[in-house]
Amino acid sequence: MKKTYFILLLTFILSGAYSIAFAQSEDDLVEICGMIAQDATYLKDFKVRLDAGNPPPVQRFSVILKKGIKYRFSVCNSKDYEGKVVLQLLDNNRLLATTHVVASGQDYPSIDYVCTKTGAYHLFFNFKDGKPGLAVGLLSLVETI
Amino acid sequence: MARIIPLLLIISVLLSSCRSCNQDQDANKEFDIPDELMNDEQPLPVSSEVIDEIVQNVSSPVETAALIKGLKVPFNKDYMASTNSAKNMNTSFQKALGLGIYGADLGYLNMYEKTTVVIDYISTVKDLADGIQVGQFFDFNTLRRIATNKENLDSLMLISQQSFNRIDSYLRETNRASLSVVIIAGVWLEGLYLSTRVAQDANHPRINETIGEQKVIMGTLMALLDNYKRDPNIATLISDFEEIKDLYKDVTITYEIGGEPTPVVKDGVLTFVQNDVQTIKMSDETLKAIITKVQTLRNKFIS
Repeated sequence: MKKTYFILLLTFILSGAYSIAFAQSEDDLVEICGMIAQDATYLKDFKVRLDAGNPPPVQRFSVILKKGIKYRFSVCNSKDYEGKVVLQLLDNNRLLATTHVVASGQDYPSIDYVCTKTGAYHLFFNFKDGKPGLAVGLLSLVETI
Repeated sequence: MARIIPLLLIISVLLSSCRSCNQDQDANKEFDIPDELMNDEQPLPVSSEVIDEIVQNVSSPVETAALIKGLKVPFNKDYMASTNSAKNMNTSFQKALGLGIYGADLGYLNMYEKTTVVIDYISTVKDLADGIQVGQFFDFNTLRRIATNKENLDSLMLISQQSFNRIDSYLRETNRASLSVVIIAGVWLEGLYLSTRVAQDANHPRINETIGEQKVIMGTLMALLDNYKRDPNIATLISDFEEIKDLYKDVTITYEIGGEPTPVVKDGVLTFVQNDVQTIKMSDETLKAIITKVQTLRNKFIS
């Protein structure tokens, strides 16, 4: 009988149920992201979950940003997935800001954006090298200019 | 015996699956399907993904309040809607619109950290949220505790904003996106109303510009509302908003597209400064007409 329980327990762990039970939830990530954003005022969070793919799949959101406001975009990854998230802010087809600077190869957990034009902007999230990932992006308000 | 039990379990699962298959044909009779889904004449529903694309922060109580506070305009309780008016909000439409209006006021109060008044508004928002069955997303007790003890006031803003975001998501997930759009319309109207009051008292060019640039946001909001125009209440709201939109025809917004935003490191944070220039042309007469129309309309909903 003990052997049966042991096999059941092992099956439970190997099936991934154990790891799911203790996985980081999206709400946990929002909380961590809030800490990354420091004292900026929370406005909106974006939950990003993408499978592996080549080219890397993209999750897109649209936001309205207002002139005269300095916004902060923060990102944080789930430790349960390989993927490292990259956020890009676009206005139509122009890249305006990103958390991954290609020239330096550096990733930033937080970037600020000083908006001078009220209107719709697009947020593109993908995971580096098309790896599967779970992440949260946070939009917050730093100050008015 | 040990072999028989798993076998019986498998058989019972299979049998229950087959029974479910047979019942699918009658699923409509057994489940509470929202009325709008049963109506063939309903407008083509916009998928939540598409609404998500359009709707993210169309109007935000925090940003408007931050802009007002940033102009060093002192707090004025008279700008806000009286919580007594909420008692007259009886239908789901009225409650949703009220939720937006009082939500915007809550953002204004939170921005100025007026904790003595805020509890009244938190209670009102909670009641209205309960009225459309989304009160569970409003953490009333935590908000009241923070406000009463004046502890960590940033949390007050955070929890309020998160509550509204959750309400918005839940309404869309449960096929009640029309109410979500009405809440957004309420937040937008009250935000604009607050701006018009500040414009009258402070006459600051930046607040005038804020009113003018609502032309851009109003375009998106009207597109959202338009999808639900078969709802008579929303049709009336659209008709009311059209009167404001007409006045915005005299507002001209031009853009000078600059180069790529300049990345600089400020206070240890990579900062991108946009180089585009937005110019708004709006006559004093147009501004005055917009102010009058917005205030009349907003007061109509609050009476």
